[in-house]
Amino acid sequence: MEIQKTLHKKSRMTRKENLIAFLFILPPIVGFCIFTIGAMAFSFVYSFQDYNLFDGTSQWLGLKNYVDLFTHILYSKSFLNAIVNTLVMMLSIPLSMVLGLFLAGLLRMGNIKGSKVFQVLYYLPAVSSAVALNIVWRYIFNNEFGIINLALGVRIPWLSDDVLIKVAIIIKNALNGMGTAMILYLAGMFNVPRDYYEAADLDGASKFKQFFTITLPLITPMTFYLLITGLIGGFQSYADSQVFGAGVQGSQTIVYFIWERGIGQSRYGLASAASILLSAVIMIITLVQFKLSNKWVYEE
Amino acid sequence: MRTLIYIVLSAGAFVMVFTYLWMLLTSFKDDYEAIGLTLKLFPSKWIFDNYAKIWTVVPLLRGVLNTLIVEVSVIIVGTFVSTLAAFSFAKLKLPFKNFWLLFLMSGMMVPYAALMMPQFRAFFALGMFDTLWPLILPGFFGNVSMLFFLVQYMKGISNSFFEAAKIDGAGYMRQFISVMLPMVKTAIAAQVIFWFIGIWNDYFAPAIYLKSYENMTLQPMMARINSDNSSGTNLPLIMAGAVLSSIPMLTIYIACQKYFIESLAISGVKG
Repeated sequence: MEIQKTLHKKSRMTRKENLIAFLFILPPIVGFCIFTIGAMAFSFVYSFQDYNLFDGTSQWLGLKNYVDLFTHILYSKSFLNAIVNTLVMMLSIPLSMVLGLFLAGLLRMGNIKGSKVFQVLYYLPAVSSAVALNIVWRYIFNNEFGIINLALGVRIPWLSDDVLIKVAIIIKNALNGMGTAMILYLAGMFNVPRDYYEAADLDGASKFKQFFTITLPLITPMTFYLLITGLIGGFQSYADSQVFGAGVQGSQTIVYFIWERGIGQSRYGLASAASILLSAVIMIITLVQFKLSNKWVYEE
Repeated sequence: MRTLIYIVLSAGAFVMVFTYLWMLLTSFKDDYEAIGLTLKLFPSKWIFDNYAKIWTVVPLLRGVLNTLIVEVSVIIVGTFVSTLAAFSFAKLKLPFKNFWLLFLMSGMMVPYAALMMPQFRAFFALGMFDTLWPLILPGFFGNVSMLFFLVQYMKGISNSFFEAAKIDGAGYMRQFISVMLPMVKTAIAAQVIFWFIGIWNDYFAPAIYLKSYENMTLQPMMARINSDNSSGTNLPLIMAGAVLSSIPMLTIYIACQKYFIESLAISGVKG
């Protein structure tokens, strides 16, 4: 009898705790349901419709918006162009990772004194405003009076050529992103136990070999993190087109396309279809990466 | 060998600082010298006028104020909401806890571009276009990356503190405010700093919603000054604006650099 009473009391207390715990997490969940799930659901519905801005009516179109993205004479060229641009510009991700790895290696190998100072300086672009950085870099790459062309004594049309502007964006983003990679890789290198290297030294393995057989496999969690965040960010690149490229065709990304059609020209249906495809691609790539991660990412 | 390493590292560091250096030097130049065809690092004559002029060309002060309105309201409400939820995830009994956490985290994969048009139409219909509300309201519901970081952090704090408080008769809200908050305040401070800088630098959403200069936050204002003067004749003025808009963020970064570097390293290790 006593025991049942306490049990009863206990379950009532647990239920009370469950309720309060749920109330505490409710605001973020409500926000997520409205601003993410709700908005996403509307995007999904819009993508099958043709919304008329003037009379506010919507017409059901089925898959027409999706087909139009790839075949319509007015949109397919700029959509495919945006896909290619976005993918090409993402070359800066592996590039910044290699540069960051190299710099982290230098810091680790040289046992550098002002290591903290270097970390702070290299991470500076990551906390900077994309607008301010892009304004300055646009000036640095300027066709006529940019410091790169003046210093080299050439007149390379970085900002107007469809290919060169992507090269400029890749260079800029690789340089601005290498600090993040450097700090992460350096932290990873400090986590590798010293005795692994000592054992390898005893076996007569060269430093070069040690890097590829010990360091690189053990810092794969960093590589994984950089790859995931880099890809999610890379697919959403916008300021590079808008501020650095000033909307030039060679710099237009998928998100720029969505913005231009959706917000600029009120082609909600078409832009929504593009945004749904973009979300699907990002989600599939992220999930596949996580699935594949146990094949190559080191776990303690 | 070590000298060589120092040289390579310093060269790289110079590139990182160069953007700001170039911004600063150009802001002191004469309009024509800035777009001159001969390479000059330093201004031949130092001109400080642009720093006075920029405030009259655009309502920069208004931009700072608007940005701060968003910052303060979002951070105060959003931090409370995120921290409270993190406490619940880390310390309270809740069925399907992991499901809810994964549910919230899945949002990190969703591109803003897929949410932008419905949100835009909704805020437009509510008469909130060209106001700060579309930037403030979503922030009231918290910040998932802050939440996740704090859940990890709070899990590391011993349950015995809360059990002791419970015996003293403290309710869950009391446990949160008088036991948990004092113990995690540095972690919260670090997250608030990141969020502050994130909002300060935010560009995409403000650029969509804010159309008139007097309602703009800093970043779209800077982008607008830049595109309005794309002929390049007012370059030093634009650079002066870029310098001024970067100063608060740079100050915070330098003052709190330790937090930034450490949290980044942790986020990579914990994934």
